[in-house]
Amino acid sequence: MFVADLPDASPALSLRGLSKSFGKPAVDRLDLTIRAGEFYALLGPNGAGKTTTLRMVAGLLPPDSGAISIFGIDALRDPIAAKRVIAWLPDEPMLYDKLTPVEYLEFVAGLWGVPPELAEPRADELLATLGLAENARSRCEGFSRGMKQKVALAGALIHDPKLLMLDEPLTGLDAQAARLVKDLLRERTRRGCAVILTTHILEVAERLADRIGIIQHGRLVAEGGLADLQAQAGGAGATLEEVFLALTGAPADRAA
Amino acid sequence: MRPQPATFRWFAAHDLKLARRRVRAFFGKSGPIKITLILGAALVFFHALALFALDTALEDFEDGRRALYPFVGSAALFILPWIVSQALTNATRALYTRGDLDIVLSSPMPARPVFAARSLAIALESIFSVAIFVLPIANALALLADGRWLAIYPTLAAAGLFGTGLGLVLMLGLFRFVGPRRTRVVANVLATLIGASFAIGLQAYNIAPAAYRMAISEWLSGARAGGLLDRDSLIWIPIRAAGGEPWPLLLWCGVSLALFLAAVLTLGDFFMRGAGAAIGSERREAPQVKRATRFRAGVGAALRHKEWRLISRDPGLASQILLQIIYTMPISVVLWRAMGPNGSLALATAPALVAVASNVSASLAWLAISSEDAPEFLATAPVTRREIERRKLEAIALPLIVIVALPLAFVWSAGFKAGAVTTVYVLAAALAAALLNLWHPVPGRRGDILRRHSQSKLVAMMEHMLSLLWAVALALTAFGSWAAMVPIVCALFLLWTQRPKAVLATA
Repeated sequence: MFVADLPDASPALSLRGLSKSFGKPAVDRLDLTIRAGEFYALLGPNGAGKTTTLRMVAGLLPPDSGAISIFGIDALRDPIAAKRVIAWLPDEPMLYDKLTPVEYLEFVAGLWGVPPELAEPRADELLATLGLAENARSRCEGFSRGMKQKVALAGALIHDPKLLMLDEPLTGLDAQAARLVKDLLRERTRRGCAVILTTHILEVAERLADRIGIIQHGRLVAEGGLADLQAQAGGAGATLEEVFLALTGAPADRAA
Repeated sequence: MRPQPATFRWFAAHDLKLARRRVRAFFGKSGPIKITLILGAALVFFHALALFALDTALEDFEDGRRALYPFVGSAALFILPWIVSQALTNATRALYTRGDLDIVLSSPMPARPVFAARSLAIALESIFSVAIFVLPIANALALLADGRWLAIYPTLAAAGLFGTGLGLVLMLGLFRFVGPRRTRVVANVLATLIGASFAIGLQAYNIAPAAYRMAISEWLSGARAGGLLDRDSLIWIPIRAAGGEPWPLLLWCGVSLALFLAAVLTLGDFFMRGAGAAIGSERREAPQVKRATRFRAGVGAALRHKEWRLISRDPGLASQILLQIIYTMPISVVLWRAMGPNGSLALATAPALVAVASNVSASLAWLAISSEDAPEFLATAPVTRREIERRKLEAIALPLIVIVALPLAFVWSAGFKAGAVTTVYVLAAALAAALLNLWHPVPGRRGDILRRHSQSKLVAMMEHMLSLLWAVALALTAFGSWAAMVPIVCALFLLWTQRPKAVLATA
């Protein structure tokens, strides 16, 4: 399925009453909507339910209840169609150590059904953009964590996803690579791709995100642009860190 | 009283705690009471078995302990290599598994107490791995024959120290001469070969021409006074120690303790330096792939090529396959001999080939299914789980064909019927082994292929039974016996009992 086939008016991602419990609720009746071309940052303390939410959207965890719609596709009823338009990048890159980056991209392109004549130049372009061209034919086993993270990101982008979900994508990247990735993600949103990202680096969310959602105990406690969040936290001019700590109930002095 | 931190006793307590938890993990979620009950039941069972077997057997040996020495010696030929093999495996694991070694290495601790504690834990693990089988025999011998057989206890403990000392020297010797990058694979292969050395030796004996076998038998039974096999020679010291002879017992315990202490005291610093190098060896210049990668269309091609690449770049797989062939193929020589002067070696090869196909298929299926490096990544792909599994099974067919093609062609040379029937059995055995691994995945790292059976004894047992049943079925078919239906039905029934009980959602 290509973007032209997707319903125009549908949000990129719509979660309704999404719940998941592991003994105690991890995600609790979560409602969330992300539009096409939007950069959305999902913030929250450790164990708030961010990763569980993304794993349910990626089709890795079945929710206990609720609905997931991706560009109008019911992801629970037709997971294959939904998976065609999404990409999921976890915090630990999922790679094959014995494959080279170009072999990995060939594999991913094959799984997502990207025609070879499209996949090959796209792979070359991604490897060049991410500074991996020199290592394109070296096996990943000798790569640093940052390099592996970049290969995994290239894999997430090779099929040109319409919804890109990234869990702590900047972990292990040096400043230059982090900047590169941020630029790449921004460029993707300009082309209509929706990006949802979890991060503990609040500066990234503050600078990149169109909207920020703060999740705690599996529920969305605040959402909006920085100004909206400042208003909700009752402190105009406050930094995102201060807003975050105020909304999640963590004492500022302790967190600092 | 708690041992003082950063001393040998403190590290020993720490390592024993970890070893205890590994033993508990082996029993899954069973609690301490259940584990105690299982171990207690096993001890009672082995004691009953030993008492029953020895009560009958000892009637023929009324002329004292020394008459039993050849049998104890045969058992020692199994046990001592096994202990060395376990020590080599555990020492390699201690060197390469990062675990707590990073913290220990970065602490201001001297290397010697750390290494000594770790070596002691390795020795104890090796001893306990055989004690449950050996000590009931010692108790039964003491009860039925002579109390001095209780000397098997200290003899076994000394064997543990001796084997561990030897294992450490071997492992660090490999590290020194083969290098940190290759030691892990070479040590695992060597450990497997040492552990099975007695069985391999027996098979080599079976393969040898009649004249050689006769010469070996004469040499073994000769036992000339002052010769290597004379009961008073050094080679019998551990056996005489087990029989409770005071001086041999003292000598065996002394030598073993000395070897262990010498290894621990001299190799401690080298081990710690080696651990640093082993960790460093994982980060190295990655090998280059010179051939250009051609992008192909479709899920099937993507999965097939990925599996083929990973299999062809797996150093452990080649050694695993080689070992399976070493273990299995001598059966064909035994069968060939049993066929008499007009027997065909090509026909005799067929049952062994079926067993090899079954084992190799199981290993390849385990690699493709259970040791998938990125299962969650595959789960996010727009492909059903069933299709991924089907494509993976398709992918392992090619390497399997490459491995069995030549011996299968050899069987075909004996005639069309022999070739066709063997091909059918090879396919059935390979498919059954692959399905078993598909239905009962035992997740593990690719590098652990040589130890994959230690992760699930049930799957290991089923694999061996299926392999044996198909091989027996072919042998009976070759003799034109309808009895071949019995192992076929048994194999199919066994497979049927292992089928998945519920079909999971495939996406």
